[in-house]
This record gives sequence, structure tokens and C-alpha cells, in this order.
Amino acid sequence: MIRKLTLALPALVLVLVLGAGAALAGSSRTEADPGVTSTSILLGTTSPLSGSASAYASVARGADAYFKYVNSKGGVLGRKITNTIVDDAYNPAQTVQATRKLVEQDKVFAIFNALGTEHNEAIRDYLNAQKVPQLFSASGATTFGSEAAKYPYTIGFQPSYQSEGWVLGKYLARTQGTAKVAVIFQNDDYGKDLLAGLKKGIQRSKVKVVAAEPYEVTAADVQAQVAKLKASGANTFAIFATPKFAIQSYVFASRLNWKPKLTLANAVSSASNIMQIASEGGTNKVVNGSVSIVFLKDPTDPKWQNDAAMKLYRQVMKQYAPGANASDVYHVYGMAAAWTAVEAMKKVGKNLTRAGLVKVVGNLSISTNPFLLPGIGLKTSQSDHFPIEQMLLQRWQKSSWKSFGGLWGYRGA
Amino acid sequence: MRLGRQLAPVAAFVVLAVVVLVLPSFVSAFRAQQLAYVAIYLVALIGPNVLTGYTGQISLGHGAFMAVGGYTTAILMTDYGMKDVWTIPIAALLTGAVGFLFGLPALRLSGLYLALATFAIAVSAPAVIKRFEGFTGGGSGINLFGVPELTASLTPVEVLGRELVFNDWLYYLTWTVALVGYVLAWLLLRGRTGLAFRAVRDSETAAQSSGVSLPRYKTLAFGVSAAYAGVAGSLFAIATTFVNPDTFPIALSILLLVGVVVGGLGSLVGLIAGAVFIQFLPIWSQEVSRSPGAPTVVSGLILIALMFVLPMGVAGLAGRLRTLTKR
Repeated sequence: MIRKLTLALPALVLVLVLGAGAALAGSSRTEADPGVTSTSILLGTTSPLSGSASAYASVARGADAYFKYVNSKGGVLGRKITNTIVDDAYNPAQTVQATRKLVEQDKVFAIFNALGTEHNEAIRDYLNAQKVPQLFSASGATTFGSEAAKYPYTIGFQPSYQSEGWVLGKYLARTQGTAKVAVIFQNDDYGKDLLAGLKKGIQRSKVKVVAAEPYEVTAADVQAQVAKLKASGANTFAIFATPKFAIQSYVFASRLNWKPKLTLANAVSSASNIMQIASEGGTNKVVNGSVSIVFLKDPTDPKWQNDAAMKLYRQVMKQYAPGANASDVYHVYGMAAAWTAVEAMKKVGKNLTRAGLVKVVGNLSISTNPFLLPGIGLKTSQSDHFPIEQMLLQRWQKSSWKSFGGLWGYRGA
Repeated sequence: MRLGRQLAPVAAFVVLAVVVLVLPSFVSAFRAQQLAYVAIYLVALIGPNVLTGYTGQISLGHGAFMAVGGYTTAILMTDYGMKDVWTIPIAALLTGAVGFLFGLPALRLSGLYLALATFAIAVSAPAVIKRFEGFTGGGSGINLFGVPELTASLTPVEVLGRELVFNDWLYYLTWTVALVGYVLAWLLLRGRTGLAFRAVRDSETAAQSSGVSLPRYKTLAFGVSAAYAGVAGSLFAIATTFVNPDTFPIALSILLLVGVVVGGLGSLVGLIAGAVFIQFLPIWSQEVSRSPGAPTVVSGLILIALMFVLPMGVAGLAGRLRTLTKR
């Protein structure tokens, strides 16, 4: 026993000394930020691959396909991008743990396009304390763009829900004179931001919100809310709900024989496939003529059949995300965000650092993004971390969306 | 021989405590943080094990009790400026009281009906939390990161002459609480109370005719198990630095029951395995496949396979090995 110990002890000391030496050598070798080498960039994304919101997993899939395409073309200034996607089951507590794993164990360069409002809120303080960029958060909550001074490492992407509500409100004020609006909204930051934006948009006009009914995201259905809204005598129906509840709202309104003059939808649930389901094979009259906003190129819109960017989109999806449904617009969203990330990293240049990236995305001025509607640019400043603030209105006619009018820019902030 | 039998659990516990103490020197800070969650789940599993494993009352609502503990800690820290560590005993007392009160109506329910009633709490908890928005922060929840009351989140803390960064601090905090809670549960369950609990589980009629007061022991079991869930929720809030209604979903309540069953109903030893299982199962199943929906299927398959191989949980396996070696 004692002899074994006398043999083992020197061996242990040797291992420890060698280990310490290796650790020292490792720490003195490189000055660059974690996740970046001369040939690679490591990005991390949290996404609901499972759970109630797994439909949104397409966002990360679309982005990942685009990164692989960029890699096949030589990467970003010679660096190949690896995008590690971790499932958070749409539970913010899991987002926190997954993000810590990405930052502390995988040592990613940046968190890219993490999905969900509360999910991004839960990791924002941590990422800013660690000085890890929280790049293009996939949420329209106003807070990700408006608190740039407090959270310099956080930047949003899509138009804020508030600006979307504002544009719909302005549209009513200009064209529907005395509309009486009934609103169904999800009882969280997403639904409330949309409602607040709408109310801001109709200020100083004769348009009135006569009823607003919240529902919980955990609810089974929204029949009671729709019945109450019908009873309010409103002639305009605004649906600020996620896909499942938006479909229910349309269907129940039709069953209750409610015939609002105009229905407003929101971008989160106005993908064509969702509208198709809600229209019940074209028999649901409430769906016809619905108005919504749009900022991405819709893959089902025949207008983009021969568009170069959408041709590329379909080719990239076929090659790098085989089996995925390419008519799902969430893929386009992910690709638009990935395109912007690649452009930003190119702009930082050969010496890619976290601080450098934050500086570039805080002063973006890109006039077009091939996956966004023509004319929509990406602009940010030190005090404004909303990259996209322009959008078009679109109307649902004959089973597809048709955009109309010119670009709307949000000026309500 | 008798002395040996008495000393064996103590010796095993001392070995466990030593392993816990030295482990952080051998693993990364990140791994230490993952192990902290194992400690949290260990505390959380003691709760349903006291209630379901020892007393025979099925609960599907322990996630809601964790939510009560988590929100108690978060609200005390942000609104009342209380240091995180001191909120833990308050969370235990408050959640214990809530559990005790819930135990009263639960007296009239048994078996599946009780399971349904507790499931209803787990289902309604998120909606209730959102209702009292001024108090709970509604859907956006409460953020604790960077709050000065949260120990070590920004600057290391010195404990007994050692500087601890956040992850190591979490590890030692959670494992200290877990080991203390473990000993307390062991003391409670090996004595008269534990015997009464088991009597209630095995036959309520027989227990009653032997002079065991059913209302007293059932509500006590509810109170104790809720208190453990409250402590776990409190630690969960501290470790995650964030609470919102979705951090305590229905799936959590079910996961806790899974952990107890995997560990072995009516056994404290197996719970560590149960805690490791529920912390690492989602991580392992993602290693198998990351395509949408796949991790859930993989965890389901692992669980089914495990129930075939180890019908009595890990504790059952230990028991089987013991009889084998004796032969």
C-alpha cells in the first residue's frame, strides 16, 4: 500500500506541474476574443426546438443554412462560421442555462438571434456584464432597441411591435375616419406593445378603441373574448395574437356571424400558411381584406418568383436545410438576420473583436438587405438599436397577400 | 453489527460531503454551475419523495410550490432589499405554510383525484402569477442579475478566506443547503414520523386503527414537501437570476415526479441519481439530435427504456445488487 503511494505521488506531482505549465502557455498565446480564430467564428443561438413554440425553430434553421452557404463561398474574410443552436424549449430558465453553456463552455464569440422576448430579457444583463454581443435578438419588444445606453451589447432586429401597432393605427386614422376598434391581445409585452402602438397611432383622430380583451398564452381558446368584442358594437377587429389564437379569433368571429368592416392582423401570425388555415378554404369572410404589415419577402408571393435573392433563398434551403418547408417565411427571417450578421462582421474587418462588432452594429447604415422588401434599410445609432424601422402594408385578397402603398417609417418614439 | 448498521449511512454521508467539497477543484466553473442545479433538483425531489414515496399521496403540483419559493426570493430581494441567502428560510416557511393549507382540502381527495387537484395548481400557477402583475412583474418576470442583493454575480465573494466566483459560489451554496436538507429529511423519516408516513401509505385504515392521525400526518407531509420545494424554488431563482411564469411550467412538475420515480420511490439514496437524471437528460438528448422536435422524442425513449431496465428506480437497483452480493 505504502509502496503504491510512493509511486503514485511523484506521478501526481508531475501531472499537476505539466498541467499548470500547459495552462500558462495557453493563456499567453493569444489575445483575441473567445470564439474567433484566423479560420473560424463560433456563434451561439438559443431556439425553441421543442415545446409549444417549436414553429419558431425555422428561424434558426434558415440562418444556419445561410451561414453554411457563406462558408461554401469562403466564409467571412476567410473565417468559417459555426452556429451552435441549443434548444431552450421556450422556457427562459433554460435559455439562461443554455446561454451560460454557450458562453462559458463552448466559448462563443457572440449570441446571435436568440428567440423570444422574455428569453432575451433573461440573458441581457448577463451578456452585457460578460461583454458578449447579444446580436439581433429575435423579438419585437421595444425594450431591446430603446435601452441602448444601458445595454450597449444588445441589439434588436425586426420592427418593434409598438411601431407595427403605430403604423396600423395611422393607417386607420388616415383611411377609416371614424372606425370603432375592438382589440384582442395576448396578455404579455408582445400584445401590450402592439396595443400601445395602435393607441399612439390613432391619437388626435376620430378613431377609437372601444373594447380590448386580453387572453393568456396558456388559455385553451378565446371564444369568450371574441363574443365580448362582437357585443361592443365595433366595426374594426384588431387581432394581436400568436398563430393558434389568431386562427381561433378569425374562426369564432365568423361563427358568431360578426361582420367587421376591416380586420387587422399582426406580423407574428400573418404568414400565408396561417391565413390559409384561418380562411377555412375561402369561406371565412372575416379573413378577406385583412390588413397587416410586412418587411420580409414572402416566399409564397408569386411577385418574387424570379427575384434573385429569393432564387438564392430556395437554392440555399434545398442544399443546406433539406426537408425543411421552404415556403415557411420564418426561414427568410433567419436568413435576413444571418445576412446582416455576415455584413456586419465583414465590416469589422480582419481584426474581429466583440467590441469592434458592437461598434459596427451600433452604427449600421445598410440601404438594402436582399431578403427584406426593396427600399427597407437597416439603420442604427448609439441611442437607437432598432435596425429595421420601415414596413409596408399588405392586404389579404384571393388567398394571398398583396402589398399596397409606400413605405411607412416609424416616427412615434 | 448493530453499530455498523447505524454507522454505515453516516459514513456514506461523510464520503458524499467530502466529494462535494473537493469536486470543484477538478471540474470547470461551468460544470460546477451545472452541478449546482443537480443540488437544487435534489432538494426539490426530497419534497415529492416525502409526499409520494413515503406517504403515498401523488402530487403533480410541486412546480407550483417551487414557483412560490422562487417568487418569494425574487420579490424579497428586489422590493425589500434582502440579501439572497436570508430569503431561503423565509421561502421555506412561506411555501411550507402554503403546502400545509393545501393539505387541508387535499384530505378529502385520494389517489388519482388528488393527482388531478395538484395538477390543477401547476396548470393555473402561471396565470395566477401574471394576474398580480404589480407584485410579480407579470409575464416579463423579475430579473435578479446585477441586483446588489445577489451574491457574487458581478464581483467574487470571499467565504472562509476563499474567493469564489458566481458559479463556485452557487455550487457551494446549493450543495450546503442540499446536504443539510438531506440530513433533516433522513432524521425525520427514520423516526416515528417516518413510520407514521409509511403506515399511511401502506394502508390508511390500518394506520388509523393503530392510532396514526390521518389529517395530522397528511397535512404534515404536504407542509414538509412543499417547504422543500420552496427552498428549491428559491435556489432556482438565485441560480437562474431570473423568474417569470414560464420558468415554472407544468413540465417541471412532471419532471420532478419523473426524477423521484427514476431515483426510486420511498428512498433517499436514489434521489441523487434522480437529480442528475433530470438535470442532464435534456442536455444528453440534444447531443443525439438537434433537429426540431427530436430532443423530446429522445428523452421520452430514454425514459421508457429506463423504466423497463430499472422498474424500481436506481434505489431498486442498489437493493438488488445488495441481495446479490449477500448470496
